[in-house]
Amino acid sequence: MIRLAFKNFIRSGGVRAGLALLLVAGVVSLLIGRQFLDRQTQAIADVRAYQQTEFARNIATHKDELGLLLYYLKFSLVNQAVPLSGLSLGQRDVNPSIQSVTIRALESQRYDADLTNPANLLLGNLDFSFVLIYLFPLLLIACCYNLVSDERESGTWKLVVVQQPNVMSVIYRLYAIRVGVILALLAVLVAVAIPLLRLPIDGSLVGFVGLSVLYVLFWAAVCFWVTSLRKRSSVNALLLVTSWLALIVLLPTLLNTYLVTRYPTPEALETSLAARKGYHEKWDTDKHQTMQAFFAHYPQFRSIPPPKLAFDWPWYYAMQQLGDDDAGKAANALRAKVAKRETASRQLARFIPPLHTQLQLNELAKSGLGNQLRFQEATGHFHENLRLHFYDRLFRDVPAKAENWTRFDVQTFHDEAPIDALTGLLPLLLVTIIFAGLGWLNFRKTATMA
Amino acid sequence: MTERIDSETDRLQAINLTKQYAADARPALDGLNLTVAPGEIFCLLGQNGAGKTTTINLFLGFLQPTSGQALINGMNVADHAQETKKYLAYLPETVLLYPNLSGLENLDFFASLAGFALSTDELRGLLLRAGLQADAHTRSLGGYSKGMRQKVGIAIALAKQAKVLLLDEPTSGLDPKASNEFSELLTQLSADGTAILMATHDIFRSKEVGTHIGIMRAGHLVETLPAADLTANELEAIYLQTV
Repeated sequence: MIRLAFKNFIRSGGVRAGLALLLVAGVVSLLIGRQFLDRQTQAIADVRAYQQTEFARNIATHKDELGLLLYYLKFSLVNQAVPLSGLSLGQRDVNPSIQSVTIRALESQRYDADLTNPANLLLGNLDFSFVLIYLFPLLLIACCYNLVSDERESGTWKLVVVQQPNVMSVIYRLYAIRVGVILALLAVLVAVAIPLLRLPIDGSLVGFVGLSVLYVLFWAAVCFWVTSLRKRSSVNALLLVTSWLALIVLLPTLLNTYLVTRYPTPEALETSLAARKGYHEKWDTDKHQTMQAFFAHYPQFRSIPPPKLAFDWPWYYAMQQLGDDDAGKAANALRAKVAKRETASRQLARFIPPLHTQLQLNELAKSGLGNQLRFQEATGHFHENLRLHFYDRLFRDVPAKAENWTRFDVQTFHDEAPIDALTGLLPLLLVTIIFAGLGWLNFRKTATMA
Repeated sequence: MTERIDSETDRLQAINLTKQYAADARPALDGLNLTVAPGEIFCLLGQNGAGKTTTINLFLGFLQPTSGQALINGMNVADHAQETKKYLAYLPETVLLYPNLSGLENLDFFASLAGFALSTDELRGLLLRAGLQADAHTRSLGGYSKGMRQKVGIAIALAKQAKVLLLDEPTSGLDPKASNEFSELLTQLSADGTAILMATHDIFRSKEVGTHIGIMRAGHLVETLPAADLTANELEAIYLQTV
């Protein structure tokens, strides 16, 4: 029976066209992911090469003046892109994956990003997570919206009910065929993705695939529930497309608006103004006063008498440092605010399955806001370590050539934040069970009605 | 009207069966009593809206009776909706099938739904017995006429080997030859002990094939006659008087 029911399903022209279209979109999304990963690899190689050639050039030019040399030298920290990020780009294309910083004031460098075509941002990336979250439910809806209702309308249901009085078993099988076909398509895409993106088979991949499967099952449960209401096919279609629109477009937008209003970030502007002012003011401030403020932050340098130089580099960097110090309060407030937004959005997203899935996929692919915040923190540490290292040398007037520059290679940040698989899967599992259960209750009452 | 209470042998029985679709409307079916024993073919005649299809739908369990009982093998359909369906096969006025499957595949599908895994030869045999020419068996259903679909429907009913057959104007769409073959088929089935309830407009066919003829009007069974006692013309006269 299941073989013939499958034939009947797959022979519909629309079904085959839909499956083909989704397959093409899926493969395109994987190629886009490949392209993204290649671009990342290329960018890292470029930065590494640049750092080597630039270091050599600058050291040759400014070998006598460490302060001036450090004015130019950029040290890079790479936010390592795991292969999974090719499946779910998240914010990786908006936020820089490489931060190249001098030891000057950090806050003014922190948000230096690549230029991104705003038109691309508007459309969003056609990455795999887009195909999964937006397009998979559409095809599932197209395959399931008229299940049973269509047979009621065309009159075959009567015969089905008479031939097989245990109608629930028929409905399960009809659903299994449709969901099975969609999951098979998902499996094909994953099978293509593994070699194409060189995905390691690890816990993250299992979590990623598990979440994707559960997301498809969630929509299957919604379809199951809607078709159990015993409405006409056209009403089912309307209900399902409306819920697609509400869950995927409307609610996430509303949530975003809420978060932006609830956690406004005037600190963003404040930070850049304070950082700029904090530093520029110091040109006109008494040098002694500037140094005292600097020593208050780094008492360890107080004991070293600053060398008498034509241009006082320790003072210059103290001035830079104070730019950061003055902006510190606003900068911390901004980061706390953004972190709060991230936490709030994650908690609220649990009630909006598509958004929850997207956030969890990004988390697994280390391409979400959480990763970006952790990378920023790591950049702060990276910058601080460089500073401390070179402040010491500047204060003791160590010549540039005494430094072992080769040890300053591009560094990589590995996001080791633990991933809580249960928190990721549980909300989705719960709503899936609820909808499937409601559908089951309805069907038990209405399935045998012709 | 002969009324028997012997439910052991009565495959189909309606006891004061009443169906009212809306509270303020007159009942579509009002206190129907009838029995169909194994080997009997009970033909229900009547105008549109007389309650024939309602009666069949009540036996099928698609409708809940307002009062009274529809019994199949002594079991109340309303209480044993799943169980009672096992014993019956059904042929609607218009057999609707899956357009993406061939006639053979449709028959295979519905037969396997009922739990019969039949070989292709057996399936073809059933289709031939129902009168569907061999070259049409594997054709897509898109090119089927109404009569051809009706024949696949007959084969589906045959495949279930049910002892109760409910037919709702089964010969509509069949040409006279096919209609005649269908009558022969029904006679064979009744000889094998099948109880058949058939709603129809075809007076002459019912006279020819039926063992009992019931005439319905406005939800009432106004006349039940043994078919053998009548000529077709007499039956028509009675029918026209009654309705």
